[in-house]
Amino acid sequence: MGMTNSAAEPTALIRARGLTKVFGARSAVAGIDFDVRDGEFFGFLGPNGAGKTTTMRMIAGVSPRTSGTLEIFGKDPDLHGSEIRGQIGVVHQQETLDMELSVRENLLVFGRFFGMDRASIATRADELLELFQLSDRAKDQVEPLSGGMKRRLSIARSLIASPRILMLDEPTTGLDPQARHLLWDALQRLKRGGTTIVLTTHYMDEAEQLCDRLVVMDQAKIVAEGSPRQLIVEHASREVLELRFPNGTESIDVKVLEGIGDRYERLAERVIVGCENGEAAHARALEHGLDPESWLVRRSSLEDVFLRLTGRTLDE
Amino acid sequence: MSAAQSATPLRSRSRLAAIREAAPHPTRWRHIVSYMLAVYRREWHGSVFSAFIEPLVVLAGLGIGLGVLVGDKAAAITGGVSYVAYIAPALMASSAMNLGAGEAAWPILARVAWVRIYHAIIATPLNAADVMVGAIAFIVGKVAFAATFFAAVLLITGIATSPTGALGMIGVSILTAFAFAAPIVAFSVTQKSDQGFAFIFRLIITPLAFFSGTYFPIENLPFAAQLISWCTPLAHAVTLSRSFALGTPLTYAWFHLGALLLWGVGGTIAAIYLFRKRMLK
Repeated sequence: MGMTNSAAEPTALIRARGLTKVFGARSAVAGIDFDVRDGEFFGFLGPNGAGKTTTMRMIAGVSPRTSGTLEIFGKDPDLHGSEIRGQIGVVHQQETLDMELSVRENLLVFGRFFGMDRASIATRADELLELFQLSDRAKDQVEPLSGGMKRRLSIARSLIASPRILMLDEPTTGLDPQARHLLWDALQRLKRGGTTIVLTTHYMDEAEQLCDRLVVMDQAKIVAEGSPRQLIVEHASREVLELRFPNGTESIDVKVLEGIGDRYERLAERVIVGCENGEAAHARALEHGLDPESWLVRRSSLEDVFLRLTGRTLDE
Repeated sequence: MSAAQSATPLRSRSRLAAIREAAPHPTRWRHIVSYMLAVYRREWHGSVFSAFIEPLVVLAGLGIGLGVLVGDKAAAITGGVSYVAYIAPALMASSAMNLGAGEAAWPILARVAWVRIYHAIIATPLNAADVMVGAIAFIVGKVAFAATFFAAVLLITGIATSPTGALGMIGVSILTAFAFAAPIVAFSVTQKSDQGFAFIFRLIITPLAFFSGTYFPIENLPFAAQLISWCTPLAHAVTLSRSFALGTPLTYAWFHLGALLLWGVGGTIAAIYLFRKRMLK
């Protein structure tokens, strides 16, 4: 707005340094640093309560930070919130649709909030209904739509003003597998169209499938950062051998476990062994006299990264 | 951040920007009105009875029925006019109260706590203050619409004596709606369920209709009750509305207008403050 911005072009669309949010005596976000670059698909991965949603709310300008710096498009959301929000689409974890309006009216009303004129809203709304396969439900009430359709409508609504950044908080929680995959496809199409996407999730496969880069959050802090591939290479071994012991794993000798692979995690009924070659590790396990009820070998995933970094599984 | 010498002006500029972020925008609130109109276009038939028919039914029932009972004594109470003419402008004000209060309760709570669309709206360029101003403006507009209908009926039936008086009554209804809607919106945005509304309606709204000079002169109440009545908006609204309808001279007009405005403006400020407190954690 006529203000001379600093000469340097911001290197990131979102830039956080020492970002902190304190509720009473509890730190919801404890001094995190991250950058989200233009055009990338960026994820916050972590269990419930890790601080992901609070971080998203601070970016969306609806939660004033306690301390630290936060810049979106190079601007402070505390001072330029309205302007910033005009270029961000937000999809909440719980549906926030109007149940009295039709599917299409939900989009039309939202376009007005962004100051668009009625003609461009109508064109954009029809485009989005088409893109999210909702055209044949345009005139219907929202209430009877399936969960997947409601979620697609929420995303369509958030895109009405063609935002530069789309933010999604746990977008596939509560959806069946088919609806999830439909949604993933739609998000990937958007990304190819140039939209920067930020999402939170506690699903490993979602983060692995979608994100170019992600940060792993645990207990209000970022514990790792990188592409899914990088994180796996850095923090996990190539393959994983899972051994299942329905009668419990407490009695297994540490020495035996240490001898099987590069590292291991002992869970209640499973032993997870990180190794170069899962088959070979399994053979060693049998040589050491272990007798698992079942076993499997798989490539390492983000789940293993999280387990390695925190000593816990995500759904704990 | 870097240059120490520019610290003071930068900070005051920031403070101004922060205030601008929180304050209502001069025009953005109208998008909330147009959103509510879109909802109303779908739902209007549901509110026809409460907004248009009910006040007339009450007027007919009380005016005619109670009017017969009061009979010749009416003149002593009303200062010369029929009982119907005496209560009609008061009923118009109290129906503005009922409608304004009702619209400020469930529809607001639903959008904060049930369908939660306000959470989505404050993530757009609109801020919390815009949402509150727009929500209150819509309620006031809706009451103005119903009041226009009511005033037209009073004019046609000859109960209201002049078109100017009818316009004045519409104005009073608008202020009445503002005076009730704003503080009740402020209450609604703090609630998690609708249980609190029972308190508001049974203990405040319904009794007010009886103790604000609607059916009998407020001077018939004990002094303490009169004092309490004058602290609430309806007594002022009834006094103004009746004076416009009957064309009787008004004393203390600014005092009555000021009281209504005070409730409306104070309620709006409270609504913005409490809504921000709830939403911007």
